[in-house]
Amino acid sequence: MTPTNRRALEFVLDNLVWFMLLAVLLVFSATIPHYFQIGIFANIVEQSSVLGVMAIGLALVIISGHMDLSVESVAALAAMATGILFCSAGIGMGLELSPAWLAVPVSLLASFAVGAAVGALNGYLVVKVKMSAFIVTLAAFIWVRGLVVAVSGGRSAQDLDPAIRWLGIQRLIGVPLTAWIAIACFIAFSFIMAKTRFGRHLIMIGGNEAAAFRAGIKVDRILMLAFVLAGATAALAGWLLAIRTSGATANLGVGMLFNAFAAVVIGGVSLKGGVGALPGVYAGVLLLSSINTAINLMGLPAHYTQVIHGLLVLAAVLLDTAKHSIRQRLA
Amino acid sequence: MTEPLLVLDNIKKNYGAIEALKGISFTIGKGEVVALLGDNGAGKSTLVKIISGGMEPSSGKMLFEGKPFLAKSPSEAKRAGIETVYQDLSLCTNVDVVANFFMGRELTKSWLGVPVLDEREMEAQVAQAMASAGTTIPSLRTKVEHLSGGQRQAIELNRFVHWGGKLVLLDEPFAALGVEQTRRGLEMIRHVASQGIGVVIITHIMQQAFQVADRIVVIRQGVVAGDVARENTSPDAVIAMITGESLTGAGSAG
Repeated sequence: MTPTNRRALEFVLDNLVWFMLLAVLLVFSATIPHYFQIGIFANIVEQSSVLGVMAIGLALVIISGHMDLSVESVAALAAMATGILFCSAGIGMGLELSPAWLAVPVSLLASFAVGAAVGALNGYLVVKVKMSAFIVTLAAFIWVRGLVVAVSGGRSAQDLDPAIRWLGIQRLIGVPLTAWIAIACFIAFSFIMAKTRFGRHLIMIGGNEAAAFRAGIKVDRILMLAFVLAGATAALAGWLLAIRTSGATANLGVGMLFNAFAAVVIGGVSLKGGVGALPGVYAGVLLLSSINTAINLMGLPAHYTQVIHGLLVLAAVLLDTAKHSIRQRLA
Repeated sequence: MTEPLLVLDNIKKNYGAIEALKGISFTIGKGEVVALLGDNGAGKSTLVKIISGGMEPSSGKMLFEGKPFLAKSPSEAKRAGIETVYQDLSLCTNVDVVANFFMGRELTKSWLGVPVLDEREMEAQVAQAMASAGTTIPSLRTKVEHLSGGQRQAIELNRFVHWGGKLVLLDEPFAALGVEQTRRGLEMIRHVASQGIGVVIITHIMQQAFQVADRIVVIRQGVVAGDVARENTSPDAVIAMITGESLTGAGSAG
């Protein structure tokens, strides 16, 4: 095999999920009536925002060789915090600030504080106490959701402050600002992972933690930061979700964890750690919502979405194995 | 003998009542390759750990470059210029050669005040280091997992030299390598030593010890059972020292 061919093949393998996304969009556009419309594509991007932001944090932790099952519950807690502070109906306190736009940074900071606190606790237990990340974050998945239910008393908050809602309504090039926030997050974190020392160290820790430690990399600090970032991005996802639904319910976001996992795995992140890039994860999220949209348009019962998502995850893992064996034959 | 790099003086290590090392004394010179031989449980690993900061001796002194030396951790030993190269313990195989070379010491440039990895500069430096060591790797952007054991070892050794290492300890460096790779590895060890770096190689394979070492030090039951220049001994004599059938050839090669 010539070096050029080899590089081309490597490129395809590295970006497989983007090719899959392209293929799926082409097939749907050709076969499903009304699929090929700007509005549909804008809708796909919009639908991807909450899941996308959640998947970023999850991907960071998985790339570092660990696991964070708590992202879904953290998102719900952040959404509930936003809802309680700035909703005017239900259990909302209807906080009013002047000028009104202050509600945006205040609610965002409150969400971040909640998410980063849970992330820091997870990180502390995993990094310092040396507990298994799976168990620690499974526990957080349960207790944080419990906290959401307890705080809200099982009730919901509605009618989010219009100043915050504005972000979900105002559109730029046909896509709401909330979706642009998600896109900005992907760009920022892709840059961090590919171009900064922190990102490089995180990938190396996922590949060989002992070697990274021996090379003088501050493994504990970087892993801690990864968990805090996972909590913070999950909280941002929750904040976006609150905007989207104009409030928060006690069971907001239930089941999103599995979609986030699916997106991360489809996006080419290996659950063994050390492998994966964030642009791929975004493609994974877009792929999932493209399929959701297709199912909606075809008028299929929504239950099929879950079946298809499950099969997609299996296909992604199979592909990952296939990619690995192709790479080994290349070497 | 060349200028001493590391002097071990009566190093002892007890685990409770058990004496793993009963007073080890020998010297490693600058640019010298010392083969450390001995049966399993003779105390080689303990000794290597003490030198590279993984363990502290119960008593005894070490002089590194003429100054008292005692590393409390591997990173402290590394700062002094002493490092152990363990197979598969010091490379991240999921990133490329350049990233491994600069692991934990990445160069950055500033983009609007944000420190960003300076990939081009790092690649240029790695290319230069590899070229001066005579190592050829098809692409420095290949992930290490796609490279052979010999190439991996070359990366580790070149990295060690590049970052100003002075004494390298190689634990069974050729255990998993083929004949040709081993030959190249041995050549590289000679090349490393020719730059004034001390090399300690632990091996079970007599032939390799005789191919590469300037001196052979045999440890048996926690004491130095033999310390001889390679040209003054033979494999049979060394085997006798290892098994303890005789002490022919024992004593300093000084």
